[in-house]
Amino acid sequence: MTAHDCLSAWIAARLAGDERVSTWREERRAEIAAGVDDTRFAGLVSLASRFIPRAALAPTDAELEEAEVALAGWNPERWDLLEAARVELILDHARAAGAGFEAALEGAFRYADDGELRALYKSLALLPGGEQFAWQAKEGCRTNIVPVFESIACDNPYPFRHFDDVAWKQLCIKAIFIDAPLWRVWGLDRRLSPDMARMALDLVDERRSAGRDVQHELWLCLGEHGGERGLESLERELAGDRILGRRAAALALARAGRTERLQALVETEGEPTVAQAMRDALEGHHDQGAFRALDPRN
Amino acid sequence: MDAPMRFFDPHIHMTSRTTDDYEAMAAAGIRAIVEPAFWLGQPRTTIGSFVDYYASLVGWERFRASQFGVAHLCAIGLNSKEANNESLAKEVLEVLPRYAFKEGVVAIGEIGYDEITAAEERAYEWQLEFARENDMVVMVHSPHRDKKRGIIRSIEVAANVGVPMEKLVIDHNTEETVEDTLNAGAWAAFTIYPNTKMGSQRMVELVKKYGPERIIVDSSADWGVSDALSVPRTAKLMLEQGVDAEAVTKVTWQNALDAYAQSGQIDVEALLAKPVIDQSKLFSDNSVLRGQEPRVDAAMPN
Repeated sequence: MTAHDCLSAWIAARLAGDERVSTWREERRAEIAAGVDDTRFAGLVSLASRFIPRAALAPTDAELEEAEVALAGWNPERWDLLEAARVELILDHARAAGAGFEAALEGAFRYADDGELRALYKSLALLPGGEQFAWQAKEGCRTNIVPVFESIACDNPYPFRHFDDVAWKQLCIKAIFIDAPLWRVWGLDRRLSPDMARMALDLVDERRSAGRDVQHELWLCLGEHGGERGLESLERELAGDRILGRRAAALALARAGRTERLQALVETEGEPTVAQAMRDALEGHHDQGAFRALDPRN
Repeated sequence: MDAPMRFFDPHIHMTSRTTDDYEAMAAAGIRAIVEPAFWLGQPRTTIGSFVDYYASLVGWERFRASQFGVAHLCAIGLNSKEANNESLAKEVLEVLPRYAFKEGVVAIGEIGYDEITAAEERAYEWQLEFARENDMVVMVHSPHRDKKRGIIRSIEVAANVGVPMEKLVIDHNTEETVEDTLNAGAWAAFTIYPNTKMGSQRMVELVKKYGPERIIVDSSADWGVSDALSVPRTAKLMLEQGVDAEAVTKVTWQNALDAYAQSGQIDVEALLAKPVIDQSKLFSDNSVLRGQEPRVDAAMPN
């Protein structure tokens, strides 16, 4: 199944009990298939909020698997039904409009509210030829409206696949700044770099000079690229008294390949959650997904 | 006040206000606001300025408000002053339907008269037609000069277009216009604004005289000398001077909610729930919160 087919099946199943809403969706899909102009297309994406409930999509495990098979990295775990229905309309229009779609999508972005922007950004990875919208996707990372930023940056394979290095590093460091969950940036572990590690360590130093705590997800950015400077910085965090930061630093030591040092530390560690993080890391649980357990939102 | 109250300020221009205001408003119990589109103190020269302004009302400003636990709703419209630039007004009216059906748009507004020119009337009528066709609430700004005649005419024109009176909110009323508005069956809003419009003490007298039915108190706070806490301040004065609590609740919460919930764009249940701000989720270096301690789980006074 394509991502488009997946979405259609999931939405149909969830709206089945509501005739008014189901009918609206079917009629609008037929209208789009028959051909609509740019203004009407944007209007339909907008109008969806008056019909489709903003309820959690709550995909089943099987549906999440279908999503991953349809497109590696596409994770609709946190989508809502309205977003799903809007993305379906966008994909419908991409299929129907052909070469005219690019202008239609640009128009929809131009007049979008924040709810529409979230759906538009979530659609980009699923669009055939979606790479042509990389500039727009980068605009999404320039916003300070956190939910809009997350719609392109998190649970979305688009940036990993289509962002250049400047945009990619900016996305990752900005996630820290606006407190968006970096561990949910798909492909992070595969696109770490010495330069990203340096940017992260510069930020660590800036925070410490200002007497501020270091955001624990900064340690995600080092990987094996932190060098001596990174190790010194991690040791300082581990010697501190912030439990979340110490747990993250323990994972980061393992990510840097310093298992011997971690082994030595775990023997004297008295704080149970930090000790547990160290043991988990020694067992190999230190990829970006391991930071999920450290996310205060969970 | 003995018991903490919640307030709805159905007319305030937050685009012109600081985060200090948002903090103070939230602390004073203001749970929800309506920000109607208006002018910016000087005339805009291009359609792009309108587009970006409308986009901010349904985007950035809403997000800014959410960081303080304030539900931000808005009204979309072409104001009367700028309706006089007819070529630009035409472009604005073309783009207006793109924003009128966004989430959280509770009305067409603020529209109406300023100098009561023919151009203003054309834009006003066009927007009234649009509202009627789409079953929307209308928020009417009444003029400073020639106010009484302006209000009477606003109501007549709206009635002629076929806008139901229960969907019409006439704002900036005074002692001289309140009877015209109430007798027509429209909602009568009052802007508590220093020096012009209405003062808190006069508002107390009005509620004592006319009762609370269909009367709405707002601040219309903007870039001029104005007060984002007008609504709670006026409620306090009313209670101190013997207006009963139920009437105060009506004019500072329930009536505005009833008027604008007709749009179907207010999640009343969510508004009634006790809001909890978790600013740790929203802490942002470049956003509105810069380095202050997050107030995790600090509940608003009810």
